[in-house]
Amino acid sequence: MEILLFGIINSVTLSLTALGFTLVYSISRLPNFAHGALYVTSGYIVWLCVNTLGLNYLLGIVVGIVATAIIGALMYRLIILRIRGMQISEIIATYAIGLAIIEGLRWGGLRGSTFTLPSFLAGSIEIGGIAVDNQRLFVLGSGVAVFAALGLFVKFTKTGLALKAIAQDERAAMMLGIDSDRKALVSFALGSGLSAFAAVLILPLGSIVVETGYNVLIYSIAVSIIGGLGSWGGAIVASFLIGFAQILTEVFLSTQYQMVISLLAIIVTLLLKPSGIFGKQKELDDRV
Amino acid sequence: MRKGFGKTVWTVLFLALCLGGLSGVAAAAEQPIVIGAPLATAFLYGWDAERGIKLAVEEINAAGGVNVGGKKRPFAVEVIDTRDLEPGVPVSEALLGVEKLILEKKADFIVGGPVRSEAALAAMDLLSKYKKVSILTTGVLTPVYHKKVEGNYDKYKYCFRITSHVGVMANEFIAFLEEIKKGYGFNKVYIMVQDVEHARKGGEVMKKMLTDRGWDVADMKIYPTGTTDFSVGLRDAAQEKRNLLFLWMDMPESSILLKQWTTMKLKALPMGFVSAAEQPGFWKATEGEGEYLIVNLVNGGNAPATITPWTMKFAKAYEKRWGLEPEGYGTSSSYMAVYTLKEAIEKAGSIDSDAVITALENVNLMGVYGKISFDKKSHQVIPSLDPAEGAVTSIVQWQKGKRVQVFPPKTAEGKTLLPPWMK
Repeated sequence: MEILLFGIINSVTLSLTALGFTLVYSISRLPNFAHGALYVTSGYIVWLCVNTLGLNYLLGIVVGIVATAIIGALMYRLIILRIRGMQISEIIATYAIGLAIIEGLRWGGLRGSTFTLPSFLAGSIEIGGIAVDNQRLFVLGSGVAVFAALGLFVKFTKTGLALKAIAQDERAAMMLGIDSDRKALVSFALGSGLSAFAAVLILPLGSIVVETGYNVLIYSIAVSIIGGLGSWGGAIVASFLIGFAQILTEVFLSTQYQMVISLLAIIVTLLLKPSGIFGKQKELDDRV
Repeated sequence: MRKGFGKTVWTVLFLALCLGGLSGVAAAAEQPIVIGAPLATAFLYGWDAERGIKLAVEEINAAGGVNVGGKKRPFAVEVIDTRDLEPGVPVSEALLGVEKLILEKKADFIVGGPVRSEAALAAMDLLSKYKKVSILTTGVLTPVYHKKVEGNYDKYKYCFRITSHVGVMANEFIAFLEEIKKGYGFNKVYIMVQDVEHARKGGEVMKKMLTDRGWDVADMKIYPTGTTDFSVGLRDAAQEKRNLLFLWMDMPESSILLKQWTTMKLKALPMGFVSAAEQPGFWKATEGEGEYLIVNLVNGGNAPATITPWTMKFAKAYEKRWGLEPEGYGTSSSYMAVYTLKEAIEKAGSIDSDAVITALENVNLMGVYGKISFDKKSHQVIPSLDPAEGAVTSIVQWQKGKRVQVFPPKTAEGKTLLPPWMK
């Protein structure tokens, strides 16, 4: 029971952290290496709003998410757009931005373990004799809600349909009049906003530390590669694979290897199916 | 005209010489003794030392400075961020920092770090090369440090350590656990450590020592840095009916562990080395769910307590200067390192390294955390459970938002409490 319960919770948590990264890649074909940095930044912004500016917590969360989305959009508009199409430069740029943000936060005072966000729901309930804190269940419920909302967004809104079209075939979408640069900007903003949303849900479980940014990035990359770069469904499936693999490793092997599992999974996937479970890159290359 | 011009030139030259001479005299009188502090300032075990050192320097300078052979000289502090606690930063970065302090900043003494054991061990050769006396005050829990001094005294005599190490800390914890055993009958331990060298070694040492003393100790659980879910380990501890949870974790995610411990109402008292719990802000950070955690602060005075007449004086001065209670485990030791250095320089009558080494070897100072004296061969501060005999530790329990000293018995200000679900 605990394997099932904590496996599901951890899997949804993983998919929440990786969703923004996957979304950005699927639209703009750019791995955003600043994803983890934006995750931490949003948490810090919320903390500042609540503790320094004295804002209401919910208002602080809205400010945090919106501010992070704006940062993501500005990142694209001011830097990435200028080097669009130069893949190595794009990767280096996002990595450099991510490093600069994380080290900037550390230099600016985000140090130690005492920067925290309050939980939305205190206390715990027992499920099958296992005590689970309410905050984790809140993360689970919110994660499912976000996936559903995203699904509805890409199916029933004009912008969502345009993003989906670009994800499927950028050239064809451009031929139909969809501005890919504008949509890439939207995807960066949306991806950054999603990482901020994940942060405000998950960070109350622990504390806001800059090192979390690196961990989030590694997990996001692992999930995206295993699920297939650019595949939203693949990212969710991969999250569940990694989430359950970690729990099973903890229970039957050793807690020491739970982080290694996700890195090992990347290697195995690249060896056996480089495009990932639902990825289509290799098939396209084969066709060409 | 010519005569007048010549007179003017000679007058100006004479005045310039006089001024130059005067400023030289003035400079010599105020020339500070430079303390170089190589520290990982972006981390708790770096900034805690930096604050301790700066507070001591400010106090000493305000009182007139250090008496060096009849002349009063102030201390000056030069801090370099060695970044040696950041993952991926090579040891060479820390060594460059130490060398910069010595060659560029002209440090007369090195106090503080490097903080990481590997970096500190590597720096010993540098200190020997430049014949710089160093007092290690934070990090570096490895016993190898002082054993290296003892093993090659002539080369490493410049190196002193005023903070404790794993060997002493483990013995102190064993003594404390034996008290818990007597008081509550607990004898089943579950060990959870972070996947870093010092924590794994510390966990292994504790496991062996406890097992040798008849404790029932489960296999150690090792958690990678960044783990965000400890539920499986905590459930195992509950199923095995463990009554003590021994932790050794530097990572901030240890606050998640404490929160999950509270949620599960685990009937195992948590204790150990948890860096997140060494800060006064820990209470607020865990929304009070860190209550009952027992943590070893390594050196006394790192939480307010009455260990010696100096301890609370120090704690209050620290709070006034920095706006919060002492935190981390390098604070009181760094503070005392500066005062101990002052004492040694004044006894030696000079800042000559060999003279200061001899003076340090003979120092006997009642400090913030007990009697400060060094073993003459290993240059390790002499520990004790009695502040009158040596440097004492500080094992505290979080009780109602405060860090209450519960061990050693001679300095305890409260009893170890159990959470309500364990009564």
